Amino acid sequence: MDTVRLQHSLTLPNDVNTIPQLNEFLDTFCEEAGVDMETTMSLNLAMEEAVVNVMDYAYPEGTEGSVSIEARLDDAGITFVITDNGIPFDPTAKEDADTTLPLDERNIGGLGIFLTRQIMDEIEYERDNDRNILTLRKYINNKSNL
Amino acid sequence: MTIDIRQENGGYVASFDGRLDTPAAIKAQQDIVVLTENADKEITLDCTKLEYISSSGLRLFLALRKETSVRGGKVIVKNINDEIKKVFQMTGFYNLFTII
Repeated sequence: MDTVRLQHSLTLPNDVNTIPQLNEFLDTFCEEAGVDMETTMSLNLAMEEAVVNVMDYAYPEGTEGSVSIEARLDDAGITFVITDNGIPFDPTAKEDADTTLPLDERNIGGLGIFLTRQIMDEIEYERDNDRNILTLRKYINNKSNL
Repeated sequence: MTIDIRQENGGYVASFDGRLDTPAAIKAQQDIVVLTENADKEITLDCTKLEYISSSGLRLFLALRKETSVRGGKVIVKNINDEIKKVFQMTGFYNLFTII
């Protein structure tokens, strides 16, 4: 088991208007973790998409709830864990957007989770005691797709 | 996020300043209605001061691009930074827009 060198957590209501708080939280974490600006921006994008997905799908419109985010740094890299108490929602089961289609066939949606997948190295979903738990990892020293 | 929209040379120029994240894109949807209404013209999205874009912002750009394609206009994306360029490449957007 890798030693955790840095750990931060944040809880947000399921309101996309709080996304700037997530951004601030990640900027602070990445700065303390010594992550470069470029990677910080990519991680911000991956996490915004993942968290917005949870807010949109795990909590149907009009229902209140919260989303917890934990950020950890260990020797292997960065791990984010997103937890919510909403309805079962597995974003890893969603089909990716086809980014090779011509303009008139491109759908307006489906890009969010695609971007998360492109940026992160691992994404795992688990349903545990009425909670959705999404674990996302980015290895250090793996700059692919960043 | 601020969006400054002005008429120029018979077309429209929209200058984006700040972060186009999910809540900003929801607000921007109202702000850019005038661009959608003028989708038969040349529309320049000046991204010189655009720091960040997420999929909600990309969707706005795509919707506008689709509208101009139907109505005979054009969308030019100007001065995107390297990070945003990567996002455009990852999503295949790079091939859908005129990028200068």
